[in-house]
Amino acid sequence: MNLIEILSYGFIQRALLAGTLIAVLCSVLGVFLVLRRLSLIGDGLAHVTFGSTAIALALQLYSAASLLVSLPVVLLASLGILKLTEKARLNGDAAIGIVSAVGISIGIMLASVGGGYNVDLLSYLFGNILSISYEEVIIAAGLFCVVMVLLWLFFHDLLAISFNEELARVSGVRTNLISAVLVMLTALSVVLAMKLVGIMLISSLLILPAVSALQLARSFRACIVLAALQGGCSVVAGIFVSFLTNLPTSAMIVMINLLFFCCSCGVRRLITIRNIG
Amino acid sequence: MKRLNMVIILAVAVAVVFAGCSRQEQKESAKLQVVATLFPLYDFARTIAGDRAEVTMLLPPGMEPHSFEPKPNDIVRISRAGMFIYTNRYMEPWAESLLKGMDRQRLRVVDAGQGVQYLQNVAGDEHDHDVPGNHGAEGHAGVVDPHIWLDFSNAALMVDNILAGFIAVDPANAAYYRMNAAGLKGRLAALDQRYREGLADCATRVFLHGGHYTFGYLARRYGLEYHSLSGISSESEPSAARMAEMVRQIRSSGVHYLFAEELLSPRLTDTLAAEAGVAVLKLHGAHNLGKDDVQRGVGFIDLMEQNLVNLRKGLACRSK
Amino acid sequence: MPVEIVATERLACGYREGYVLEDISFTVNAGDYVGIVGPNGSGKSTLVQALLGLVPISSGSARLFGSRCDNFSQWGRIGYLPQSLHLLNPIFPATVAETVALGLLSLKRFPRRLTRQDRETVETTLDVLGVYDIRSKLIGELSGGQQQRVLLARALVNDPELLILDEPTAALDPETRERFYHMIADVNRSRGVTVLLVTHDTGVIGQHASKMLYLDKRMLFYGGFDDFCHSPEMSSLFGEHSQHLMCHRH
Ligand SMILES: [Zn+2]
Repeated sequence: MNLIEILSYGFIQRALLAGTLIAVLCSVLGVFLVLRRLSLIGDGLAHVTFGSTAIALALQLYSAASLLVSLPVVLLASLGILKLTEKARLNGDAAIGIVSAVGISIGIMLASVGGGYNVDLLSYLFGNILSISYEEVIIAAGLFCVVMVLLWLFFHDLLAISFNEELARVSGVRTNLISAVLVMLTALSVVLAMKLVGIMLISSLLILPAVSALQLARSFRACIVLAALQGGCSVVAGIFVSFLTNLPTSAMIVMINLLFFCCSCGVRRLITIRNIG
Repeated sequence: MKRLNMVIILAVAVAVVFAGCSRQEQKESAKLQVVATLFPLYDFARTIAGDRAEVTMLLPPGMEPHSFEPKPNDIVRISRAGMFIYTNRYMEPWAESLLKGMDRQRLRVVDAGQGVQYLQNVAGDEHDHDVPGNHGAEGHAGVVDPHIWLDFSNAALMVDNILAGFIAVDPANAAYYRMNAAGLKGRLAALDQRYREGLADCATRVFLHGGHYTFGYLARRYGLEYHSLSGISSESEPSAARMAEMVRQIRSSGVHYLFAEELLSPRLTDTLAAEAGVAVLKLHGAHNLGKDDVQRGVGFIDLMEQNLVNLRKGLACRSK
Repeated sequence: MPVEIVATERLACGYREGYVLEDISFTVNAGDYVGIVGPNGSGKSTLVQALLGLVPISSGSARLFGSRCDNFSQWGRIGYLPQSLHLLNPIFPATVAETVALGLLSLKRFPRRLTRQDRETVETTLDVLGVYDIRSKLIGELSGGQQQRVLLARALVNDPELLILDEPTAALDPETRERFYHMIADVNRSRGVTVLLVTHDTGVIGQHASKMLYLDKRMLFYGGFDDFCHSPEMSSLFGEHSQHLMCHRH
């Protein structure tokens, strides 16, 4: 099967386009999240989305209308995670664990009270990169623009709070506001992108490109660029390799990210050994 | 997904222990308690039971059955019942190990698929590119297809197996159960006859399905060529290559409709249909029902009648 | 007429369990070099954090450049080098130049972007502090002394009027420590920067600071170094012999 033929399918074109945009934005957000020890926030917020979608169904709101419930709930949950780390002095992962457990149990409770659902809720929550519609490509592009513009506007503030929060405050950075901007952008991306490409892809794209870039980057700017490159390339490569090997696409993209990560670790080791020797 | 499932299972365990405690007390009645896993078994069992036994379904409404695993509360329900009915060990792989721990003196276990001629799906998750047709060449090491209820002669056999269970547990009402079972088998035979006639003269015999491999038995019984997007497990995800292959199959076979499965999100089916320029029709695999259908009291035969209407539309069949 | 830079009145900080700091009143004027000393746990760091609005004030008041600390906003006039150096994430991928450039954010308004001129300012500061050659190294790869120097460059890059340093030499070897103190003294003398320096190293700071503030939950002494050496309270606290050693200038 040649390249032209692969590219002739509309669903492949849309997967490449929307997938790359989502991968790049997740990878860039991921650098800040990993440095702030919030790398599991993607999974956590996905669980909250599950709970909030159950609430939406209980209120008889379906598909797009369920976003009216889940988007505000997930935004609040992301702020809740932040408050827990600040006020209760919890680690990021403990705070995420608490919030996600609450999200899941709300969903389960409502299911048992309401006597089940009309559909399999989980299958409706998580999209698949191969089934992205035209409208969803536009959603992905819009999300990409919003996240990138805000990251550009707040880039130095985000860098400052990731480096050291006290120093950032004494430099006049409104640290609470900037942290809130970061987790709310993440929440927005998780809620929207999860319906497009599935949670496995989102949560691995929030972590793997960032940790690979951290192995190799020689500056913060390079770290952002490397992460974005890895995220984008992994989607393109994953789709083509999935074509050649006949293996599931999302899993392939995750495996390629893992491969990138192993290579970065290897390269870093080599550099360290050479520097010592 | 797996991790999410784990968390859900834990949370369910907590949630249902509370909900379950209160519910169980009122149910300790004198009637025979029967638990069936999937909808076809439940529907057959409640028809046979009539008013002499109480049949409940293990699967909660709306839940996808292939990834289902019983929760602590479900195990309590099974252990308190007098009879437990499951489809077969391919559909409910958890059943055998779970039943080992139970008191088999008190609990009658019915393997509804006993004696059924099982078919295999070619190569499990991915369809073998070279093999045309539905249920792959003999000798291919495939995955056993558990959807036996979609061949109505198997369905009749399942009714017999369930009936035998009822008679063994509650011999006093044997005649009553036999009568109900005979009525059900008659309706299944009539259904089979309507399928035979309804699908006899169709513009195409190619039957393409955007879900997991479900209708292999049905296709073989009525001489149709069946292709599904994914393999037997509905959790498996198709590759980009399989999607493209499916698009080519739809185009080259000249069909105008693609069938979508029940309960699960039809995203992939819709994508394929849009790509190939065909319309989507629902086809109910009858694993489980949604909440509304449960409340409406929909039966197995109702679902199959609706399927026949959609199949005849999709394959452009003419009436005699 | 001396210009007031920092002033506190009956300042107290702490929680329900008790005050960490109590009844602190002092004034720092432009050009002063104040050594804040006291035993471990005496509230030295809490004092500077309260001045910077990083910990809440329980009662009393504190002013920076004439405005109340709790709604202070002229961060461009301040350079700060925190004690929590060890809290820096060792895998943080920022270069020396990027780290120092962060010090310029206090001069910017939203959206904070850096210009070419800013980059030149950063390079000049790197050069002045002798870290220009390592400007593209990652901050995590530096030795403790280099890191401290880079963070000092970061605190000085916005050309502050007030420099606040919290235990800046804790992680340094004696030789590097000596050089560091000379650098601070130079900043104080040649640029006229007011300095507040927290340390438990009473002997060394005495050689540089113009004023001493001795703290042990309450302020036990505030005044010139010579007065500190002849203060009867201090000699009863340290013993006359130690006080003599401490006050013996090289
Ligand atoms: Zn199935």
